[in-house]
Amino acid sequence: MNSDVILFENVSKFYGEVLGVNKVNLHIPSGITSLVGPNGSGKTTLMNLMTGLVHPGSGKITVRGISPFAPEKLMRIMGYATQYDAAPRGVTGYDFVLAGLLLYGYAPGEAEKRAWKAIETVSLTQSAERKVAAYSKGMRQRIRLAQAIAHEPQVLILDEPLNGLDPLVRAETIAMFRNYASEGRHVILSSHVLQEVDVFSDQVILIANGMILAEGEIKNVREEIHEHPSQFLLHCQEPSRVAAMLFEGGQVTEVKLDPQGRGVLVLTRQRDAFAEAIERIALSGIEIDGVIPTDENVDALYEYLIGGGR
Amino acid sequence: MSPLAQIWTIAKLEIGRAFFSRRALWVYLLALFPAVIFIGHGLDAKIKRDRWTGRSIASPVAIDSLSPGMSPEQVIEKVGNPQDNRTWQGRHRVESKDNDKVIIEKTEMRSMFYFDGTRRNDLRFENGKLNRISKNQFVSFEEDRKVYAAVFQYFYLRLAIFFGCLGIFINLFRGEMLDKSLHFWFLAPVRRDVLLLGKYCAGLIAASVIFGSGALISFCAMVGFQDPTQIQSYSQGEAAIHLGWYVLSAVLGCVGYGSVFLAAGLLLRNPIIPAVVVLLWESINGFLPDLLQKLSVLHYLQSICPIPAPVDDNVPPVLRMILSPAAPSSAWVAILGLLAFTALVLFAATHAIRRLEINYGTE
Repeated sequence: MNSDVILFENVSKFYGEVLGVNKVNLHIPSGITSLVGPNGSGKTTLMNLMTGLVHPGSGKITVRGISPFAPEKLMRIMGYATQYDAAPRGVTGYDFVLAGLLLYGYAPGEAEKRAWKAIETVSLTQSAERKVAAYSKGMRQRIRLAQAIAHEPQVLILDEPLNGLDPLVRAETIAMFRNYASEGRHVILSSHVLQEVDVFSDQVILIANGMILAEGEIKNVREEIHEHPSQFLLHCQEPSRVAAMLFEGGQVTEVKLDPQGRGVLVLTRQRDAFAEAIERIALSGIEIDGVIPTDENVDALYEYLIGGGR
Repeated sequence: MSPLAQIWTIAKLEIGRAFFSRRALWVYLLALFPAVIFIGHGLDAKIKRDRWTGRSIASPVAIDSLSPGMSPEQVIEKVGNPQDNRTWQGRHRVESKDNDKVIIEKTEMRSMFYFDGTRRNDLRFENGKLNRISKNQFVSFEEDRKVYAAVFQYFYLRLAIFFGCLGIFINLFRGEMLDKSLHFWFLAPVRRDVLLLGKYCAGLIAASVIFGSGALISFCAMVGFQDPTQIQSYSQGEAAIHLGWYVLSAVLGCVGYGSVFLAAGLLLRNPIIPAVVVLLWESINGFLPDLLQKLSVLHYLQSICPIPAPVDDNVPPVLRMILSPAAPSSAWVAILGLLAFTALVLFAATHAIRRLEINYGTE
């Protein structure tokens, strides 16, 4: 049994007749993994399945070797910040975090220490004694995060964790995720802010309509989709001549001059042949300043996958 | 952390909300209603007694020696001046036998009222002669104990504790689902059955304190306004035992109904359905075979009440069957039976909670 990955083996989940996720196979290593998909695509269902809040109709899930049906073991290594306000009615932020820690069996003194530490991590110390019901959306987000990290879990699962955070806290939160990931922990999150996910994720899982569209490092996922043409910006002198040479070679699908005058925008399905063509152009004496992939981000990939290709 | 320690931790975290759940504050009204009734009854009796005692108290022996036919003067001479003395003229139509005429006959009426410390004595005179003596125990301890038994069994056990437990226990899980906060508990490193028992303990402590106290206060209110000599005699005799059984049956009611409604909160979305089904089941229990009667909380509770609740002679047989336990069990059988029943229900509930999923979207 693999004890440092999260495994989904042919997992399906239906809510009555409504599809949650269908025949999902995932192998999630440690690091930051982002679940990306539109509303209703199945991101939260995947997270709820991992945490045992919902049970699979078929298939098997293990989180670092532990079944989600054993919360007494699983939750010792896992923290989950849901999109719902988990705080029972009428509690303060501090009590909310403290109550969670007491359930972990920490002695009151140790639990208090950890609660304050977690609250400090999310910059809520000043408001800790206020009732959660009086918190703003961003503060609620942060207190849920504090509750999820208070016991320093090995697997941190966060449903839309960056929603409602101001830029400073957002940057601090992302830094914390990176720090967690660098220690060999799992950080799994969902987000609609695709650019952010693109920037800090180690891997991405693209999901739509309950099905996994792609899984892996963004770059690798991108490369797996051979049918989809890659777009590059070629910084070069004599862009018109370069465009003509590329067309002649037949390695590109589309070439156009960059409207901002930086060079040539190229669309190709044959990356290797395109690389060789660039080499030939450079050897012919035309100066190539750089080749930059312009669509190796989640936005482009997702748009392509969800849209069914260009 | 051992499961027992976790159960206690959960109970401690939950107990405040079990006591003061916004959805269940009306539970206090149900629990205190009998106490309010008996305190009101007792205060009314006390005010009257104080008022009558302040005037003059007749000798009970002298009152008992009165006989019909005595004149008001003879009565006053024997008993003393009454607390209330009224005269009026009664008139009634009489048909004359001789000429079929209707004549109006006048009667001199007089009423006197004496209080002898425990009884209210109303004397009625007609045309100067005593013709009726009505002696009513002012506060009848025996009567009040029977009334208490009836209120306790017909209202407190059947309705107050029943609906009180519905309010407290069904909110333990269903309320959290409505607030979308149940996952807080499901995301703790706690076995689901341990969570269930922790929440059950919190609800049980709250319900037992509320309804046990309600039983205690109402019992004290019933006894406290009685004649001091009767209170003393009762306190030295069965009072503590009776009180113990009443409080125990209230607590056991919370044990039994609590388990039923906790399980119902896990299985059903609408609390009205389990309430109606259980209420119907409890009501028709008297008609069921012996074995099925054992699957009733009320059956056991009625069996351990110290004084059987009186059923009026005019009550129809069907209603009589519903009101009285068909074949009461012995106290120990009742207690053990109720605990076994509760264990069975909680066992079923642990299966339900293991399968329970968080799916607020469909709530």
